Amino acid sequence: MTPAELTAATTGRDLRVPFGVALVALACAAPLFLGNYPLHAMIIALIFLLPAHGLNLLLGYTGLLSLAQAAFFGIGAYTSALLAVHFGTPFYVNFLAAGLMAGAIALPLGIPALRLRATSFVMCTLGFVIIGQAIAKNWITLTRGDMGLAAIPKPWFALGPASFTVSGTVGFYYLVLAIAAIATLVAYLIVRSPAGRNMIAIRENETLAESVGIPTWHYKLVVFMISAAFAGLGGSLYAHYLTVVSPLTFQMYYSTTMLIIVLGGGAGTISGVIFGSLLFVGLTEALRVAPELRMIAYGFFLLGLVFWFPSGFAPLIGRFWSFLERRK
Amino acid sequence: MTGLPILDISGLCKSYGAVRAVDGVDLQVDRGEICGLIGPNGSGKSTFFDCVTGLAKPSAGAVKLDGQDITGWSLNDIAREGRMLRSFQKTVVFSALDIEENLVIAGQMFTFPGIWSTFGIGSAARNRVAALRERARELIKIAGLWDVRFQPAGKLSGGQQKLIQFASMLMPEPKLILLDEPMAGINPKLIERVVESIRLANTSFGVSFLIIEHNIDVVTSLCRRVVVLDQGRKLAEGTPDDIVQNQAVREAYLGG
Repeated sequence: MTPAELTAATTGRDLRVPFGVALVALACAAPLFLGNYPLHAMIIALIFLLPAHGLNLLLGYTGLLSLAQAAFFGIGAYTSALLAVHFGTPFYVNFLAAGLMAGAIALPLGIPALRLRATSFVMCTLGFVIIGQAIAKNWITLTRGDMGLAAIPKPWFALGPASFTVSGTVGFYYLVLAIAAIATLVAYLIVRSPAGRNMIAIRENETLAESVGIPTWHYKLVVFMISAAFAGLGGSLYAHYLTVVSPLTFQMYYSTTMLIIVLGGGAGTISGVIFGSLLFVGLTEALRVAPELRMIAYGFFLLGLVFWFPSGFAPLIGRFWSFLERRK
Repeated sequence: MTGLPILDISGLCKSYGAVRAVDGVDLQVDRGEICGLIGPNGSGKSTFFDCVTGLAKPSAGAVKLDGQDITGWSLNDIAREGRMLRSFQKTVVFSALDIEENLVIAGQMFTFPGIWSTFGIGSAARNRVAALRERARELIKIAGLWDVRFQPAGKLSGGQQKLIQFASMLMPEPKLILLDEPMAGINPKLIERVVESIRLANTSFGVSFLIIEHNIDVVTSLCRRVVVLDQGRKLAEGTPDDIVQNQAVREAYLGG
């Protein structure tokens, strides 16, 4: 457990529950006081929360650094787009198929990759992103290459004869908010289960974990697949939100963004990742006011983060809780 | 306590290239026995442990645990299915976690046997976790670590970490425990405590032990039978008295 979690665990739940409820209420009311553009930034942040949760399970809890999230994000986006464009399937079919496809592809990729040691594994996952992009560019009959797939329909649901399309920023915001909430709950249930404890054990010491009977190899593979599925689900939302996918969906930039969200927010904590995705996506959007300085400012921000908060913002959140606790 | 030995190893070999680290060792541990394994540094004791517990694959030979052939099983399968646990020469704990978490993790693969049931949601799973915590707390009390139970295990002293490691191995009610130098680097007072814990586990919980140890006093006081390894081969076997008197052993290991 990280110090933040320890403090959180010792300072009862009575404060965290009302605070969480307030946060959810605030999130639900956001369209009332946020303009269209900030709402768009919120949507992007919530979409990125899914792959970030996946990466957090892998990196924060199991201790495996993977750069492949963008590859699975892209696979999810293309799966969803192809289904919607070619077969006109409803949103939930595309969405679930995207997650399943990403998770399924992670199996044959994970089996050889997870046999590698730490650094080689990272390089291997980096390779997946590059291969993914090359396939998206060159399998022109399926993906239309660099032209990408356009006119992906907005999410629509069909229940018997009735159908319903989520259009407009506000509608999409609520859809993404609901999905992000469910994803957060799933991630929370996983890390709180005995399986989650086994994942932490693998992160802490793999040989020792093995010696107490934990099948570490199977665990790493399953977590890799779950993490890919989370990324695929995020990719599906991304495709339906932007209504276009191109080989640029497979870019390292996305992998690093997800990595920054997890490490900056606080690897190995759920709240840290939520905070991280809002902060870092919000930050990149906010910095658009100064386009020529944007990446430089972002870089300096990251440097500052590494110097002052080497384990991300999660310990800060923990300190905030104990501060509230003391005042009570 | 008759019948099959709990651990039956025959002709175990392990080569690294041309080097034969373990060269055809036969060894039996009887049910309820505390057996000692001694020998000079580099005699192949730890490699032997690694091959028996599945951390390394033996080049030849067979390992039978409780009548079942476990040769070539992985470390986690042997621990989980065979209930044969081991410690490491260098003490290892889950350093960032507190003692209770350490013990719960050590026990949970045995209460949630399958890979999938560990995602257990619902009251049955919660009850099992509660039972594990209960057992963990009991063992923490027995080990005398109650006052420091909320501290991260990595922050505790080497001796306390040894006790955590030992308590962790008792979580799943094991059949057999293999200890690799349990007394290395701990003070005389704590040695007594660890010796007592081993005796207690042996008599009260019926755990059999195979112990690698350099402290010859500990070996003679705990073990009824001692096996001596030298250069990967079995040099001698017998009661502690026989071993101490044995000329070959004195030359190779004990000196004088």
